[in-house]
Amino acid sequence: MSTPVPATPGIHPAPPLLTTSTLLTTSTLLITPARMRASMFRRSLREHPGPVVAALAGLLAAAWLIRYATYGDRHTLSLFAGTWVLGWIVLPLMLGGGRGRVQPSHLRLEPVGSAAAATGLLIAASVGIGPLVSLAALAALPVHAARYGAGEAVAAGVGALLLWLAGLIGSSVALEAVGHAGGPAGAITTGVFTGTVMGVFGSVWAVAPWITSLLAGAPDHVVRWLPYFPGSWPLGAVTGPAGRGLLMLGGLAALVAVFALAYLALVRRALVTGSSWRPRRSPITAGSAPAPLTPARPVSAGWWGPGPVWAVAGRELRTWARHPLRLQYLAFAVVYGSLLAGLPTLAHTDRLLPWAGVLAALGAAAMSAGLIGLDGTALWMPLTTHGGERAEVRGRALAWLLLVTPIALLLTVAGVLLAPGVDPLAAWAVLPAVLGAGAAVPVWVSLLRVRPVPDPRHPTSADNPTDIISVLVASAAGVAAAAAPMAWLIWGPQSPRWPALVCGVAAGVATWFGGAWLADDRLANRGAEVLTAAGRRTRPPETAIPLRWDAGWYRENRATAWALGLLTVGWIPVMPQGLMVLVLDISGGWIVASHVTGGARTAVAVAMVALGGAMLLTGLVLWGRRPRPTS
Amino acid sequence: MDRIDLTVRQGTFHGIVGPNGAGKSTTIGMAVGLIVPDAGRISVLGHDALRDRSAARTLTGVLPDGLDLPERLTGAELLRYSAGLRGLSRAAAADRVAELIDVLGLAKAAATPLADCSTGNRKKVGLAQALLHAPRLLVLDEPFEAVDPVSAASIRRVLRRFVEAGGTTVLSTHSMMLVEQMCDEVTVIHQGRVVAAGPVAEVAGGLSLEDRFVELVGAETTGTDGLAWLVR
Repeated sequence: MSTPVPATPGIHPAPPLLTTSTLLTTSTLLITPARMRASMFRRSLREHPGPVVAALAGLLAAAWLIRYATYGDRHTLSLFAGTWVLGWIVLPLMLGGGRGRVQPSHLRLEPVGSAAAATGLLIAASVGIGPLVSLAALAALPVHAARYGAGEAVAAGVGALLLWLAGLIGSSVALEAVGHAGGPAGAITTGVFTGTVMGVFGSVWAVAPWITSLLAGAPDHVVRWLPYFPGSWPLGAVTGPAGRGLLMLGGLAALVAVFALAYLALVRRALVTGSSWRPRRSPITAGSAPAPLTPARPVSAGWWGPGPVWAVAGRELRTWARHPLRLQYLAFAVVYGSLLAGLPTLAHTDRLLPWAGVLAALGAAAMSAGLIGLDGTALWMPLTTHGGERAEVRGRALAWLLLVTPIALLLTVAGVLLAPGVDPLAAWAVLPAVLGAGAAVPVWVSLLRVRPVPDPRHPTSADNPTDIISVLVASAAGVAAAAAPMAWLIWGPQSPRWPALVCGVAAGVATWFGGAWLADDRLANRGAEVLTAAGRRTRPPETAIPLRWDAGWYRENRATAWALGLLTVGWIPVMPQGLMVLVLDISGGWIVASHVTGGARTAVAVAMVALGGAMLLTGLVLWGRRPRPTS
Repeated sequence: MDRIDLTVRQGTFHGIVGPNGAGKSTTIGMAVGLIVPDAGRISVLGHDALRDRSAARTLTGVLPDGLDLPERLTGAELLRYSAGLRGLSRAAAADRVAELIDVLGLAKAAATPLADCSTGNRKKVGLAQALLHAPRLLVLDEPFEAVDPVSAASIRRVLRRFVEAGGTTVLSTHSMMLVEQMCDEVTVIHQGRVVAAGPVAEVAGGLSLEDRFVELVGAETTGTDGLAWLVR
């Protein structure tokens, strides 16, 4: 029991630390994060065409799903809906969806409870293209259920809404938990998962027959397992007994509740510690013993090798082994390359199997095209050391080679053993060329296009700084290097063919030195510029795009306007007019290829893909050249 | 920066002070080659730092402020890496690293990834790497920021011994007391220009350095008016 303090003349009791006037009201708290998110979203729409393009592509896919719902198979539709929600949860981890997100740590200093904060943050998370497009796509479920009656459509609508909520909250949980999981296990898991998704998409031609039969109707063994898949519950609830239907809707509600509780726990943790998920601070010793070091016992930092190049290589190898995003990239490249080579066996072709190592090396090169940005401004050390620039470039390239070569060799050997009937000479000849290019050219590219992460000390998957142009240039270098041995094999003498191996090694050495020379030159002459770019924690000012029609702006920014137009419209020939005709065999009055048959139909679809690709590439080039404001 | 003219005498402890945004870090960045000036000349111990960067780099040890480190390395690994980058032999590197860890009290930071080290420990590791190759000029940007008093005393002793042995130290700081205690000379920078330079006592002109500093940068200390809602 507390005893009242008697009032003493001249001494006033201290007022309460917080009064109701200083506390945020609940309604303000729930709405403020959404307002913040809406402001960020409007800004991103003005600055970059990416969200608009993504929205258009997403809406096209959603429209196709709704159309399929009117005539398609229930089980297949359930699979698509569930996969959509799964993609919504996972893809932001791969594509850096955390940028522009209102995060729990932003509210850490505000006087808010975790439940109110979590609710406000989830309302904020519902603002954006992903939630909007997903809601449109999941509308396919009540549309399909309407064939069973109005009540069934309403029930499926409720199920779709619950599924949408599961996606919304699940996505927030993933970004907060997995995206912040700095540990190697979380990073490798993310890399494996995203590599699998991309590998399957990349081998869509091989799995196309399976997709075609899936569109006609899900196979029996899939149908048997489908009831265990939450994506099937909205439609499962309206097509079976009423009791089972209620159970399925209840299951979806329970799933939403579990996700909500998980998110609440993460938000609570973030409000208390500032981070929802941070690896424990732990000393690292040369061995694994965790005992603290004492001055009497000299610290062994391991073997570093002689000279500056090896010092940098040693630093890089340690960083590869410990940096969550690097581990994620490496895991992604290995899985992606393996699946691209292995999945075609589904279509009874094993010709790509020996190429698993080459594809993994190409993937690793592409994913290494932004490494300078990951390291923040740590480049100052070589820049203040005699000969540091050269050592930095060579050391980075050497470390990449030491890391990727054994993996690529292992995958190639495995592929050769699994496909004894395939001549592996081409893969063996191309491998050194790709390794040479992959080691050095990405170093140059990442010095050329520095994309820093917001916090180099604690990067997350959500900070993914992957830059598509850097990825394309790094990949193109590998492909260009591979052209020399391939040309020898195709147009050279048919016997002996082994000089193709020498040609591959020569191409690898040449691209290694070429890339290293370009990177040396860049770092030696523009080191200060690179360092400034690496230290930029906010994006430089971008071209402001008017949201309303402004004839004057379009006259003055013709190239930018063309870029926007091409990037927006270029997807139409690529996707519905091209790939969807080739892969899904769609037809319709506005589909140009529908008006011809046989080989001509394929040719028109391929031409459409080429046309769209050219439009998108031109758009990218024009967008890259747009004038930037000076302040 | 605006036509800055700054001379540091060899074998002295030189402080650079100035308000936030005055150009202290930019000056230091230009001196060590991390920022390229539009025009002018920079000479480090008789070597043209813009044309003959190699010689200047070999003679200089740098501790920048606010720049990242190779964050996945432990303190000891960073020192080994730095030693390798500077071309030190393995034996010399091992001896120097062990000694620096001992003298600067870095046992814990030596075994912890830099990403997880406190700001003070990062400063100490940064200082150790700046000393590792036995430079003749030390350029330190806010070297005592967030460093605990015991470590700061050790660092001051190390730096004093370095200067007494003929080395030159340039440091930027916001602590006037530190400059008064340690520096032989001081340069006051304001809005990219040198507004005063010389021996500390001479620049202070009979006042405390802090009062003289406020006077030199022409600032009026605010904080006496307004904010009624805060002090009611």
